[in-house]
Amino acid sequence: MAVNEKNILNRLYFIAGCMFIFALLIVFKLLTIQLVHGDEYKSMADDRLVKNVVIPANRGNIYSVDGNLLATSIPKYDILIDAVTSTNKRFEENIKGLCDSLSAYSGKSSAYYQKKLRHARAVKNRYYPLVRNVGYSDYMRFRSFPLLNLGAFKGGLIVEQTTKREYPMGGVAQRTIGYERVDDKGNITRPGLDGAFGAKYLRGVDGKRLKQRIGKGQWKPIVDYNQVEPKDGYDVYTTISSNIQDIAHHSLLQQLEYYKAEHGCVVVMEVKTGEVRAISNLARTENGSYYEKRNYAVWESHEPGSTFKTMALMVALEDKVVDTATVIDTKKGRKQFYRRYITDSKHGGYGKISVARTLEVSSNIGMATFIDDNYSKNPEKFLSRLSSWGLDKPIGLPIIGEGKPVIPKPGDKLWSKNALPSMAYGYNLRLTPLQTLTFYNAIANDGVMVKPRFIKEVKELNREVEKFDKQVVNNRICSEETLHQMQDILKHVVERGTGRSLYSPYFSMAGKTGTAKSEYWMKDWSENPRYVSSFAGYFPAENPKYSCIVIIHKPSVKKGYYGADVSGPVFKRIAQKIFTETPIVDEIETLTVKNALAEKSYQSYFDTAQTYKTIMPSVVGMPLMDAISLLENMDVDIKVRASGEGIVESQSVSRGTKLKANQTVVIKA
Amino acid sequence: MYRETNRYFKFDWITIILFLLLVGYGWLNILSASHVGETFNYLDFSQPYGKQLMFIFLTFILIVLVLAIDAKFYERFSSVIYIIAMLSLIGLFFFGKNVNGATSWYGIGGMTIQPSEFAKTATALAVAKYISDLNTDIKTFKDQIRIFTIIAIPALLILLQNDAGSTIVYASFFFVLYREGLPKIYLTIGVLLILIAISALKFGILATILGASVIILTYHFTRRKKPAFYKTLFTIIACSVLAFGVKFFYNNILQPHQQNRITLWLRLEKDPAKLELMKKREAYNLIQSEQAISSGRWTGKGFLEGTRTTGKFVPEQHTDYIFSTVGEEWGFVGSVFVIILFVLLLLRILHLAELQKSQFSRIYGYSVAAIMFTHFMINIGMVMGLIPTIGIPLPFFSYGGSGLWGFTILLFIFIKLDSNRINEW
Repeated sequence: MAVNEKNILNRLYFIAGCMFIFALLIVFKLLTIQLVHGDEYKSMADDRLVKNVVIPANRGNIYSVDGNLLATSIPKYDILIDAVTSTNKRFEENIKGLCDSLSAYSGKSSAYYQKKLRHARAVKNRYYPLVRNVGYSDYMRFRSFPLLNLGAFKGGLIVEQTTKREYPMGGVAQRTIGYERVDDKGNITRPGLDGAFGAKYLRGVDGKRLKQRIGKGQWKPIVDYNQVEPKDGYDVYTTISSNIQDIAHHSLLQQLEYYKAEHGCVVVMEVKTGEVRAISNLARTENGSYYEKRNYAVWESHEPGSTFKTMALMVALEDKVVDTATVIDTKKGRKQFYRRYITDSKHGGYGKISVARTLEVSSNIGMATFIDDNYSKNPEKFLSRLSSWGLDKPIGLPIIGEGKPVIPKPGDKLWSKNALPSMAYGYNLRLTPLQTLTFYNAIANDGVMVKPRFIKEVKELNREVEKFDKQVVNNRICSEETLHQMQDILKHVVERGTGRSLYSPYFSMAGKTGTAKSEYWMKDWSENPRYVSSFAGYFPAENPKYSCIVIIHKPSVKKGYYGADVSGPVFKRIAQKIFTETPIVDEIETLTVKNALAEKSYQSYFDTAQTYKTIMPSVVGMPLMDAISLLENMDVDIKVRASGEGIVESQSVSRGTKLKANQTVVIKA
Repeated sequence: MYRETNRYFKFDWITIILFLLLVGYGWLNILSASHVGETFNYLDFSQPYGKQLMFIFLTFILIVLVLAIDAKFYERFSSVIYIIAMLSLIGLFFFGKNVNGATSWYGIGGMTIQPSEFAKTATALAVAKYISDLNTDIKTFKDQIRIFTIIAIPALLILLQNDAGSTIVYASFFFVLYREGLPKIYLTIGVLLILIAISALKFGILATILGASVIILTYHFTRRKKPAFYKTLFTIIACSVLAFGVKFFYNNILQPHQQNRITLWLRLEKDPAKLELMKKREAYNLIQSEQAISSGRWTGKGFLEGTRTTGKFVPEQHTDYIFSTVGEEWGFVGSVFVIILFVLLLLRILHLAELQKSQFSRIYGYSVAAIMFTHFMINIGMVMGLIPTIGIPLPFFSYGGSGLWGFTILLFIFIKLDSNRINEW
């Protein structure tokens, strides 16, 4: 070949250079497209044509402890029609039938719909709404209508699903269960449990789906699958009992209405576990009705008044500075402390009474006297005990907006010489109702302080995701001796103290009344006195099952304001109803009936049959056949429904109940 | 050196590794562009990604075969291979299957084979063989004509099958001929032709002729040793004729869709309404592709995360427009990575070609580099609107068995020839 070396090399470089330059050109073009003109391309209308549409995951349900739905998400459907997509033939064939069906659904005339739909088709409306916000069954019904039953492409059916939160129990415990609140800017806030456990459990993971814009506000899925499948939220099982909640809610409501009180709250807690069985917060509207305005039980930190005397007395007893028998001179109902008078509600005073009696009659002077005598030189000792019970700190609930307690210390703005005697009877400090209840619950629970809880477990269908167990805050709030003394005194409060009007010989209760002045620093107080009436306690007094606090703010003074009169009855009603209305099925855990006892068993049957003629006997532990024959041979004609075989394990009517004619009794073996 | 002693290292592993990277990366993008749904089975042979996986597997068998055949075979039987390839192209007129308007496929069972992908290799072999013949002198007009004929036959056959894109690829042999000593005048004419064509279409015939005249006359009068004036005059006339010719060609010979592509590329359409319409129709694919690439930005949206790719916005994305997937999902970084891989591969082939002792191997090597470069340039250029739309695949990247096998054979014959170069004297 006649081409010389140098020439060849130049030609090689020329070719390689061409390639290299072109590669650079491409990189340059890439840079322009991706980085320099990126926004330009993005704005080429196209991005607004495509987007990942979020498919919201179904929010988890909230259940009561007895399995009732408190909050659930229900799919709702908007049904629209693309009036253009169907062929003329299909449209004409089906329009009559469709309009008749629509007419049958809504009551509007078929002609009305024909006119509307023909117009929609004429103006090429691809998004004509037929109905909004209907449930699943209506949605299925619409799908069967002529034309719409041809589907999306032939018939033009457009279905848009949205999810609505519904609360089957209505406004009951709404503040605690939670609800959805949408503000002006469209932000959603969820108070209560719905919000507290929303992000973590209830919300789930939203799905994504690529959609293309086909017109104003209309988005068509591009591919027939989801980019990200939505994952539904977990179900939350609360500790709320729908029964007890109902009782508490209505008891409180009844009282608020009678006393025309401004607002009030009630919390019922299971003593052993701290599980809140009921929580109700009601506030008065201008027209006099009540609704769940704020979660007062959790949020409202206020001067507790006399219910705090229990804590103050316990400090003194535990420090052994006084004994229950120590005599205190309460004078004649008026005593000066540091140039300020403290008075008792009983005209003429209580005179010399024991420390125990001081609490029973709720003597402000008595409390102030022995607390001031023993702690004025060393108030820290008093305060540190309160602090050891956690009263100076919030409980640490998962619900947002928990109120902060205030217990002043020497040096604080609220501290003065009078601070200590004031605190002795529940002023000059602030606690939330739930804090007070937690303390009373600890007394009921033999000194073990447990944290109030609202949720029991979190489940995904039937799989347990997380279980919440009892949380012990303080294993032993005081000595055994102090505890028994306090339990006795609280029982005596109801038996012979300020709460004696609540006393019932049929079931025992223990607790403390409270009547605190509210807004007493305001000038108009003397002409318009305002009070906070409260009652905190537990029942039954022996072996307590539930603790409960009732707080009612600003009852109409004309009708009454004492804690025992205003709040006490709510407490009593709840206690009473829980033990009569809550279906309690007598159950025995193990059954051991030996053959040798067969004779005795018959004897017991015979005895029972002789004894109970009109009153329900206990048939639990009896052979089923015996139980049926026994019940059917009673003097009252009752219907017996039996199931199972062998030994009776439960009966629907409690022993001792007076039977009525035609009453049904269910027994299970 | 290992290469000369070890039987496994005698192959150029750099090239092979680049090849593997391209094929692997390409497949990932095909998967992205063609998968449906969140879950998919890689071996689903009804889907492009599954099929491509099978094609890739078969490719390895093909590689073993290509490397197993004696290097001398390719040189000795190049004419036979060429004739077979031409016959297979001619056969298309009788037995071919029409896909997308081009009759370029044989349907065998459920599969289709595109012989034009293999014809490139055959032509490269034939060209290498002919130029390396001792009796051939590329400087002579007679031999030039013969070489052009060898190249033109497949190019014409493919053009007649309505696959203009693949025809243009044959222009890549120009690089080879240039390296082997084709007179510069061809290069000059080639460049002039392109310039005049663009100018004539963009600025009109009159402006082109005037512009050309001014440049040529300036050149004529500024030269110290003035060329004969008739030569200058002839050049001007030639340019003018060319300008007319291009316009005529554009208006009367090009098919409407080809006209549109050029119109779009040179932005000839001035009527905004018509332009808008074109954007929705003729330019739809390009705009979708550019937007997909554009949306990738620096680092892309992530593998299988491209909304436009998953949403199947870019038609033919897994075949000719595969690069837009890279752009969207891997961003600027990923795109430049592909470009670097290609540039490295091309430079490596050129480097190896220069090392060849046998002229046949060298020319063949150049042909491989030139063909791949042309594909690379046209495809990526087209996907980004740098050059008019010409539908040819991106080597090793685009979906398609014939394309993958065609390029694999093309490349691996060269690797085989290269491995044999120590035996050549």
